Amino acid sequence: MNDAPILLAEDNPDDVLLTRRAFSKNGFENRIIAVPDGEACLAALLPAVGPALNPALVLLDINLPKIGGLDVLGRLRADPRTRTVPVVILTTSREQRDVIEGYRLGANSYVCKPVSFTAFVAVVRTLATYWLRVNEPRPDSGAAP
Amino acid sequence: MRQRPGTNPTPTGLRSVLTPTALAAAAAILVCLLDLSLGLATTDSPLATSPLLGLPPLVEVILLGAVGVLALVSAARSRVAQVRAETARLRADEDSQRLLQVIDNTSAVIYMRDRDGRYLLVNRRYEELFGVKREEIVGMSDFDLFPPAAAAEFRANDLKALARGAAIQFEETAPQEDGPHAYITVKYPITDAAGDHYAICGISTDITDLKRAEAEAKSLNAGLEARVRERTAELEASTRELDAFAYSVSHDLRAPLRAVAGFSELLLEDYAAGLDDTGRDYLGRVVAATSRMSRLIDDLLALSRATRVELSWRPVDLTAIAQRVLADLRATDSGRDRPIELIVEQGLRATGDPALLELALQNLIGNAWKFTAKQDKALIHVGADQLPDGARAFFVRDTGAGFDMRYADKLFIPFQRLHSREDFAGSGIGLAIVGRIIARHGGRIWAEGHPERGAVFRFVLPERPPEPAHPGGGAR
Repeated sequence: MNDAPILLAEDNPDDVLLTRRAFSKNGFENRIIAVPDGEACLAALLPAVGPALNPALVLLDINLPKIGGLDVLGRLRADPRTRTVPVVILTTSREQRDVIEGYRLGANSYVCKPVSFTAFVAVVRTLATYWLRVNEPRPDSGAAP
Repeated sequence: MRQRPGTNPTPTGLRSVLTPTALAAAAAILVCLLDLSLGLATTDSPLATSPLLGLPPLVEVILLGAVGVLALVSAARSRVAQVRAETARLRADEDSQRLLQVIDNTSAVIYMRDRDGRYLLVNRRYEELFGVKREEIVGMSDFDLFPPAAAAEFRANDLKALARGAAIQFEETAPQEDGPHAYITVKYPITDAAGDHYAICGISTDITDLKRAEAEAKSLNAGLEARVRERTAELEASTRELDAFAYSVSHDLRAPLRAVAGFSELLLEDYAAGLDDTGRDYLGRVVAATSRMSRLIDDLLALSRATRVELSWRPVDLTAIAQRVLADLRATDSGRDRPIELIVEQGLRATGDPALLELALQNLIGNAWKFTAKQDKALIHVGADQLPDGARAFFVRDTGAGFDMRYADKLFIPFQRLHSREDFAGSGIGLAIVGRIIARHGGRIWAEGHPERGAVFRFVLPERPPEPAHPGGGAR
């Protein structure tokens, strides 16, 4: 299993806590690094100095303070260091324009955050099993499954 | 017919008959007769000389008789000529009298000017308007009557009509006591026997009121257009606001709701042991309420989207959509154990926005599904039939709880529920969404129902898009 962290860019502390719980309910403990705005998200992934965070997955809320989620996505895709990092957009509505714009900017997927926590746990399960396994070393490379 | 003036034969008629020629003729005949009687009385021979002229009486009689007859014929001839001339003159007078009456009794201004612009004739309306008598105006020109600019304009138009040799229509403005008046004027040259244009005639109709009305209509129209532009801008602005509002509702209301629901569910899941039954019941109610509110927000957003989304017109297979919706309902409502018969007619085709029409059918069929849940032998029938006016109406019929027709007008209004939430769940927005979608297509929808005997919802869709709707079209 990929040990790299998950970067969660989310300004709502309730959502951060619920997302952490949803991941832990699925057996992914202590893997989430949360940043409260777009600027902090870019600073973590594309620092001017120092080592960059290399997450297995970026969960990007669309409505972020300072620099919006879609702007962050555009900048990530414009930089060679983060061009291929998996980004899943988090939305609160099924507004087509956000989803379409997100895909246009290079998002890998999107999740409409359900109100029901149980549903959210299920969504996270799907997300984690796919995106965290995609980057796993192949079994024939000798790594343990 | 009335006696024409001047045709009375007496005494004028008698006088005109007693001309000198006629008197001479009469005298000659009288003398002739006298001569004859005298001659015949005084002599036995017809060849003896008469006492009057010294000629034999017979010759005298013949001579005088001839003179008399000639004089009579001549008198009669001259009388005939005289009567003819008089009749012609009278007729001419009469014609011009009649014409004068005609031109004096019209509301148009009529005038005749010679080639040099000097007045020959004006009608009574002209006299009244410009305060001149027709006897006085003869020989005057417009330069004696009007300000130079107006007079020059009239003169120029006169000359144009003269030059053209035919009628021309002009719009002219004449200064009057109560201000300038607008006229529509026809000017045409008058021709003499030789074919020369010796005068110009003008007929001017006052169109001041018409012009004023036209100007008012123009300014009203301009005002109306400005208002429409204003309202359109307002509508666009409010559509944008609605859009922003819907977005913020979806985002900002959901976030706290997610927290309430999420932590309540976490409490129930992870901390249920610390709560008694009542506490768990309360928490369960919180979770259920958040779920309803979430549904409500979803429906409000759908209603807003149905109002503002741009329609794309394409052929839509309603049969396929209805089958898909029913299959989804069967799959997601696996708890439903009572038998239900589903009929979807083949070939239900329409033109419209596929996504919106699917949303409409989802709501209509979803309703039918919901309201038949308590029936032992339910039927949902999706089909089409012909209305008396020839239009094709699609329908969704069910044998469910139905409704009281007294409340039929409330069906398509948001948040108006005809059944209690305990009996049938729902946000009360579903049919409002359907109504909005059908209205945006330019169609119509209505429902018939009876309590506990089912309901049928019918809708008609136009075959092609309605006239371009203004922004926010369909919003009521």
